[in-house]
Amino acid sequence: MASRLSSRTARRRTAAVVAGLSSTALVLTACSGGESEGEGGGSDDPIVVGISLPLTGDFSEPGKGVQRGYEAWAQFVNEDGGLLGRDVELKILDDQSNADRVVQDYEALIAQDEVDLVFGPFSTRLVVPSARVADEYGMLFVEPAGAANEVFEQGFENLFYAAPAIADDHYNYLADHILDMPEGERPQTVAVASMDDPFAQGTAYGLRDKLADGGLEIVVDEVYPPNTTDFSSIAAKIDDSDADMVIGGTQYQDAVNLIVALQQLDYQPDLAAFSTAPTNPEFSAAIGSETEGILSPTGYTETASWPSNVDFVERYTELHGNPPGEDEANAYTTGQVVAAAVEAAGCAEQGECQQELISWLRTNEVETVVGPLTWDETGKPQGAHLIQQYVDGEIQIVLPQDAMEADFVYPKPAW
Amino acid sequence: MTGTLLFQSLVLGVLLGGLYALLAAGLTLYFGVMRVVMIAHSAFLILAAYLAWFFNQQTGMDPLLSLVVTVPLFFLVGVGMQRLLITRLRPATLTMMSVLLTFAVALFIEGMIGFVWSGTQRRIQLPYSSASVEFFGAHIAVVKLVAFALAALSLALLYLIMKHSRFGQALRATIQHSEAAQLVGIKTDRVAGFGFGLGLATAAIGGTALSLDATIYPSLHWHWIGPLMAIIVVGGLGSIPGAAIAAMVLGIGQSLLQVPLGTTWAQTIFYVALFVTLMLRPQGFFGGRLAQRF
Amino acid sequence: MPNASDTRHPTSTAGSPAVTATEPTGTGATGSGTNRTWRRVARVVALVVCAALVLAFPELAPNAYILSAGIVVASYACTATAWNFMGGFTGYVSLGHAAFFGLGAYGTAILIRDLGLPSFVAWLLAGLLVLLITIPLGIAALRVRGASFVIVSISFVLILLLVFQGWGSFTGGSDGLVVPRPFPDLLRPEHHRVFFYLFAALLAAMLLAWWAIDRSRFGTGLKAVREDEDKAQALGVPTRNYKLVAYVVSATFTALAGGMYALWFGDLDPIFQFSIMLGSYMVLMALFGGVRHLYGPLLGAVVVGVGLEYFKLEFGDTQLHLVATALLLGLVVLFMPDGLIPAAQALVKRFGPQDSSIREVTAAELLERNRAASGTAGTTDGDRDEPADAAGTGRSEGDASTGGDR
Repeated sequence: MASRLSSRTARRRTAAVVAGLSSTALVLTACSGGESEGEGGGSDDPIVVGISLPLTGDFSEPGKGVQRGYEAWAQFVNEDGGLLGRDVELKILDDQSNADRVVQDYEALIAQDEVDLVFGPFSTRLVVPSARVADEYGMLFVEPAGAANEVFEQGFENLFYAAPAIADDHYNYLADHILDMPEGERPQTVAVASMDDPFAQGTAYGLRDKLADGGLEIVVDEVYPPNTTDFSSIAAKIDDSDADMVIGGTQYQDAVNLIVALQQLDYQPDLAAFSTAPTNPEFSAAIGSETEGILSPTGYTETASWPSNVDFVERYTELHGNPPGEDEANAYTTGQVVAAAVEAAGCAEQGECQQELISWLRTNEVETVVGPLTWDETGKPQGAHLIQQYVDGEIQIVLPQDAMEADFVYPKPAW
Repeated sequence: MTGTLLFQSLVLGVLLGGLYALLAAGLTLYFGVMRVVMIAHSAFLILAAYLAWFFNQQTGMDPLLSLVVTVPLFFLVGVGMQRLLITRLRPATLTMMSVLLTFAVALFIEGMIGFVWSGTQRRIQLPYSSASVEFFGAHIAVVKLVAFALAALSLALLYLIMKHSRFGQALRATIQHSEAAQLVGIKTDRVAGFGFGLGLATAAIGGTALSLDATIYPSLHWHWIGPLMAIIVVGGLGSIPGAAIAAMVLGIGQSLLQVPLGTTWAQTIFYVALFVTLMLRPQGFFGGRLAQRF
Repeated sequence: MPNASDTRHPTSTAGSPAVTATEPTGTGATGSGTNRTWRRVARVVALVVCAALVLAFPELAPNAYILSAGIVVASYACTATAWNFMGGFTGYVSLGHAAFFGLGAYGTAILIRDLGLPSFVAWLLAGLLVLLITIPLGIAALRVRGASFVIVSISFVLILLLVFQGWGSFTGGSDGLVVPRPFPDLLRPEHHRVFFYLFAALLAAMLLAWWAIDRSRFGTGLKAVREDEDKAQALGVPTRNYKLVAYVVSATFTALAGGMYALWFGDLDPIFQFSIMLGSYMVLMALFGGVRHLYGPLLGAVVVGVGLEYFKLEFGDTQLHLVATALLLGLVVLFMPDGLIPAAQALVKRFGPQDSSIREVTAAELLERNRAASGTAGTTDGDRDEPADAAGTGRSEGDASTGGDR
C-alpha cells in the first residue's frame, strides 16, 4: 500500500477502501480509522466541503464549469478571511456522470471523510439520488443544477436549488411576450425538439405548454436521446412543417447540430429559442456566426449589478482571464447560499447544526450573484430567468423590459 | 408536403446507408478472415474521427487530407493487432475470447481519447458546413454528400481489390476455406493480417467521413457498434455484399421510420431486423453456410 | 481438422479418466487417502472462515461507506455468479446480462409502483416474470452460436435501453424511477447492513445452486456442450433444452440480483441499468476468477470490484480508469483465460509437491498441445464444414463419460 501517491487524503481513502474490503486487513482499518480521520471540530480546522461532480463522462463539460465556480468561491472566501474565521477546503470527487457513483461518493464524503458540509453535483439525473443520501444523513443540500420539476416532488426536506427559477419557468418572460403580441403578428405554429433529459425537456415544455394554452399550434414535437449526433431527420421534419417558431430543449452540442442541420435545409423560422447552448462562448463560432436573433433563457448575466456579482466577475476574470459563465455562477451561488446560512447559524458541522442551516434558509432571503433568492417548502426558488437574444452579434438581455439591454428582434433575421 | 418529407428522408437514408455499408463491410471482413467479432471497430472509427478533428484543429486544413496519414496508419495497426494480439488466442476459444479482447481494445481507445482530448464533444467547423445542394426538392448537405462519395468510392475500391487483385483472390479463398487455401500455397496467416488491416482502413475512412458532419465524443462508439453488428448478422456474417445491402436497407429504413416514430424508436429497427433474421434465417439473408454456426 | 487432432492424442492413452478442471476446488483430489482427507478438512475450514468473515463484515466495516462499497462488491459477486451459470457451464459468453439485471430492477420497481405489492413479493414476482420472458428470448438467442450469440446478447441490452428510454410513460424514461424503500424506518447504515446480509443470502443460494448443478447429470451435459457441442449432441445430450435451462436460470438469478439492487439503491435510470459496462464487468469478474470454479466469479468480483474502486480513487478525475479496466480485461484474456484460480493452482503445483499423476487440462489446452506436438501450423480456425469450433473442440468422449461418473 506504500505507493507513490500525490495526495495524502487520496492515499488514506484508498488505503481504507482496499483494506476495508479485503477481509484480512479489516481489523487494522477499524483500529486505525478513528485516529487517522480525526474528529476535528477545533476552531482552527478548516471547514471541509464535500462535493461530487461529473468531471468525466456525459456531463463533464458543465461539470468542470461547476468545479471552477466552486473553486473560485472557496478561494475568494479564504482570501476574505474564511467562514466563521475558519478556512474552507473543498473535497471534490468525480462521479463519472454515473448515478451509482454519485451515491457512493456522497456516502464516502459524509460517512467516511466526515465532511462538514456538502454541495450538490451537476445534472438533474444525478441530483435526485445524491439528495436522497444527504437527506438520509440529515445534511443540508444546496445544489447548482437540478432544475427539473421532478427534483422538487421527491419530498426532500434538505434541498435548495441555488438559481433563480426551475426549468419549467425559464421561458416565462418569452411566453408572456409572445402571447401579448397582436394575434395577426405573432407566430402561429411551433416546432419543438428536445433532448430526452429532464432539464432540457423542462425548459422546452414549459414554453410549449404555455404557448399551446395561448392558442398556438404545436406542429412538431420531437424527442431525441442524449447521444444523438445526426439531426438531419428531425430537421427535415421541422422544415417540412414550416413552423413559424422553433423551440429547442437543448444542452450544448445538440443545439449546434440541430441548428446546422436546419441551416442545411434552409429552414428560416421567425423565432428560434434554444436552452443553454447560446450562452456558451463557443456557440457563435460553432454554428458559423449565423447567430442573429437566436433566443435563450439565462439565470445569470455577468453584467448584472448585484453587489456581490460585480465583485465576483472582477475577481473571477482576474483569475481565469474570462468572465464566468452560467455554470460557474450557479456553483458560486451555491457557495454563497450555504455561506450565508453558516454565518447566520454560527456553525458548520454534521449533526444538529445542519437542521439549523436548513431552517434558516427556509425563512430567509439570500443575496447572491444571481440576485436575491428565496425558496418555497420544496426548495424551489421563487424567481424567473432573463431572456437573452443575439442582437448585433452579441448576446444581450431583451426581456423583461426593466432589465433589457437591447430591443427584442422579431422576426428573426435569416441564418 | 409529406411527399417532400418522404423524399428528403429517403435521400438522407441513402446517405446514411452508404456510411453504414462501408463500416459494416470492414466489420464483416474481420469476421470472414478470422472469425473475429471486432467490437473495437467503431472505437477505431471514432479514433479516426478524432484524428481528423485534431488534424483540422492543428493545421486548419481540410480534414479529408488526414486520410493520407490515417489510412496507412490504421492498416498497419490492423495488421499488428492481428499478428500480435488475435493470433495469441487459443484457436478453440478464439471466437468468444476475441470478442472480449476487442472489447478491451475498444475500452482502451475510449479511455485514451478521453484522457488526451477530454470528454468534451467536438465538431469540425468547415466553411461549407451548412451549405447544401437542391436535388428534386430535397436539400442535401454538401458534407453529407462528400461523406457518401467517400464511402461509395472506398466500397467500390474494396470490391475491385476483392474481385480483381491477387491479394483479393487470396483473401476470398481464405474466407471460403482456409485449409484449402493453404494447400494451394496461400499464406493464410499473412492474408488474414492484411484482411484485418483492410478492415481497419475502412474504419479510418468512415471516421473521417463521419467527422465532417457529426459531433464526436469518446463514448460515441457504443452508439455505432450495435447497428453495425446487427447489419452484419442480417447480411450474413462474412459476406461483404450482404453487409452492404443490409446496411443500405436498414439505413433507409431507419431514416424513414424516424418520421412517424421519432429518433429513439427508429433505432430499434436494427434489433428487430436482427431478431427476425435469427428466427427466420439464422445464417443471414445474404450469407452462405459459414454464418450459420457462428 | 479438430478431429484429426483427436486422433493424435498424446495423452489419451488407455482412455485415462482425465479430469477436467471443473471441480470446484481441491483438484487433484485423486492423491493418497490422507491427502484427500486433509484437503477436505482444509476446504471446510476455509469455507467456515470465509463465511464468518462475510457475516462479520458489517460489524468490522469502519463506516457506512465501506459497508456500502461492500454491498456493491456483493452485488457484483451475485451478478458474476449468476452469469457463470451460462458462461461457465456452457461456454456461451453473454455480454448482455445487464439486460436481465435491468429487467429485474425495473420489474421490481414497477410491480411495487403499479400493483402496490410488498417489496419482496414484487422482487420474487419480477424474478418469475424474467424467467418467463427469458424462455422465448433464449429460444431465439440459442439458435445461433459463438459470435452471433455474443452479438445477440449485446443487442438485448441496447434494445432494452431504447425501449426503457422511449417508453417514458411506463418506465419513467429519463426522469428515472424511484423505488420505495422496503424498510422506510431504518437509518441509512442500518439499511446497508440489512441489505448486505440479503445480498450475501442471495449469493449463498446461487452458490448452492451452482454446486448442485455442477454435480448433477444436467451439469455434466452442460459441460459437454462447452467442450464440444456437436459431439455432445451426437451422444444424446439434449443440448438445446439444457442450454435453454442454463440460460433461464442464469437470467433469473441476474434479475433477482438486479431487483435486490433496485430495492437497495432506490433510483433507477435506463442508462445506468441497461449499461454495456455492467455486462462486461460480469464477464471480466467471472473470467478473472475462473469460470470453471464455484468460487471463481466471487473471487473475481472481490478482486475486480475492489480494483474498480481503487482505479476510481487513483484515476477518477481522468478517463484512465477505463484504460485500467481495459488493460485488466486484455491481460486476463491473453494470459490467464482460465482465471486466477487455475493460474494460482498451476503456480502451487509448479512449486509444490507433485502429487498428481493425472493431467488436468481443458479441451482447449489439449488441442493446443496436440497442435504444438503435431507441428501443424495452426490455422486460425477449424474446418468450415465442421461446425464445432466456437464452443471449443478436442477430446469429447473421455470428458462426457468421466463426467457422468462424478
